[in-house]
Amino acid sequence: MEAGDVPGERDAEGPGGTMAARGSERGATERGGAEPTGAMESVLLSVDGARICYRLRKQVVTAVESATFSMDRHERLMLIGPSGCGKSTLLKAVAGFIPLAGGRITFDGHEDLTPGPDRAVVFQEFDQLFPWRTVLENVAYPLRVVGRERSEARAIAERFLEMTGLTQAADRHPHELSGGMKQRVAIARALALEPAMLLMDEPFGSLDAITRARLQRELKAIADRTRVSILFVTHSILEAMTLGDRVVVLGSPPSRVLDIVDVRGLGGPGDPRYVETQAHLHELLGATDEDLSGVEG
Amino acid sequence: MSKAEAALAPADEAPKAGELPRGGSWWRPAGLAMPGAQGGRGVAGRRQSAWSRLPTWFRRLIVFVVLVAFWQFYVTVKHVNHLVFSSPSAAMTAVIDGWRNGQIAHATATTLEVLVIGMAIGLVVGLLFTVAATVTTVGKDFVMMMTAMINPLPSIAILPLAIIWFGLNSKALIFVIALAVVWPMAINMSTGFTTVNPTLLMAARNLGLHGSRMIRDVLIPAALPYTMSGIKVSWAFGWRTVIAAELVFGTAGGSGGLGYYINNSQYFLQIPNVFAGLITIAVIGIAVETMLNMVEKRTVVRWGMQRSA
Repeated sequence: MEAGDVPGERDAEGPGGTMAARGSERGATERGGAEPTGAMESVLLSVDGARICYRLRKQVVTAVESATFSMDRHERLMLIGPSGCGKSTLLKAVAGFIPLAGGRITFDGHEDLTPGPDRAVVFQEFDQLFPWRTVLENVAYPLRVVGRERSEARAIAERFLEMTGLTQAADRHPHELSGGMKQRVAIARALALEPAMLLMDEPFGSLDAITRARLQRELKAIADRTRVSILFVTHSILEAMTLGDRVVVLGSPPSRVLDIVDVRGLGGPGDPRYVETQAHLHELLGATDEDLSGVEG
Repeated sequence: MSKAEAALAPADEAPKAGELPRGGSWWRPAGLAMPGAQGGRGVAGRRQSAWSRLPTWFRRLIVFVVLVAFWQFYVTVKHVNHLVFSSPSAAMTAVIDGWRNGQIAHATATTLEVLVIGMAIGLVVGLLFTVAATVTTVGKDFVMMMTAMINPLPSIAILPLAIIWFGLNSKALIFVIALAVVWPMAINMSTGFTTVNPTLLMAARNLGLHGSRMIRDVLIPAALPYTMSGIKVSWAFGWRTVIAAELVFGTAGGSGGLGYYINNSQYFLQIPNVFAGLITIAVIGIAVETMLNMVEKRTVVRWGMQRSA
């Protein structure tokens, strides 16, 4: 799963040409490709004035005051904000776990969202895997749930384990894996479902810096290859700039969208535009360089 | 491996769950147990006595042999009245005779049959209560109330009533055993169901799992550590209850289980046979507990859901 496996594939996309480019990931976005609904085709998710409240000891607390943004197919949208700003809550609302107190979330033309494998979630916690199933079974079982045949599920699972570098660990149980490996399994499990959108809730937040950087690289390579749409929650500016196409910045709770920053095509840290964008994000998040120098991974 | 042993062994010597094959491969071979030899179990800064360097099974064997020898010696030397107390050799002879002439085998089969039926009913009803308690609030209130009220009551106390309700037959025994088993099962399993990791539940819901498939594929396996300890407690309750019930019941001449065998032997002053019955009960108890521990090792311990039992 080297980053350079299929160089330039993302840039080669064009209207109608996407299915061919997907190659071995056949069927990955059948849902996306099968419904040409005119002008709406490119918009996958639209969040329109979403308001989310929760109850805390008889008090109603507003986590998200009003969030508005939209996300295109094949886009990688990063949600960033200070802790407690409701970015994870917003992701869980998109996943269908939390109801809205106001506003609308439209996904693929649907508004009444219930949890479903078309929006596969990768959580931050390591214990999201089924401990009684092996790595292979953890990836294959959800495929059985969505109606695949046993042998087919196994074959798909093996393919995605290979993609995430887990073939050697296929017969192990989750507790025998490191944190980074567990998160890879979770990513493989989510990808194998070939979801219309991947929801990632700080998936690398509990990892050490080295493992995190490696998994970010690998995820980027896989995302380049499969062109899967990703909504990614993070608190790291660097992570957002590394992985994202655009970054939605949320303010302090009760939060609103402060800005949506395009981070596509920025060069490395040597590029003046990169430095400028980074400074802009820092400023939006109200963090000084000192605050961030120690925590950025 | 018993809890007692796990407690006795220093923590840093205990085998790490799942890393080593089960069955004692971590025991040092006797050849390495010499003073000065660098065994794998050596702990820095702690001197081990020659005794603790011996393999566990060997230490246990020695303790056992010494106890039996003392027992035999006491009975032989003190000329204890044979109508009151048996020597181990007489007890073993009685065990062998009892198995040969089929009396103990028959009694054991009778007891185990009643126990297995009673426990199976108790487990299934316990599971149904658990599901009801998980799905509905009324079910939860019911189970909480019933466990609080009935669990402290030794179910053997229901036996006189059960005999009136079911008659002088094995149904009364089965009822009493099921009653002894159902509440510890319900308590343990519903604890298991309600403490399933929320992230795991969300991951399962994300797959679109719900209803019976959620229960079967996620809740039941996730609650298995609690279910296993429920089964262990249930077994302990059930086993004691069935023997006690047979002791009471047996005198009335009903079924011929192990409790009845002991009671009957005492009645005819066949004291070695009483000992033979006791030995059989103890051996079966040890065998079943070993079996349950093995099941735990191969499931919840292997999956890292519970540390070594």
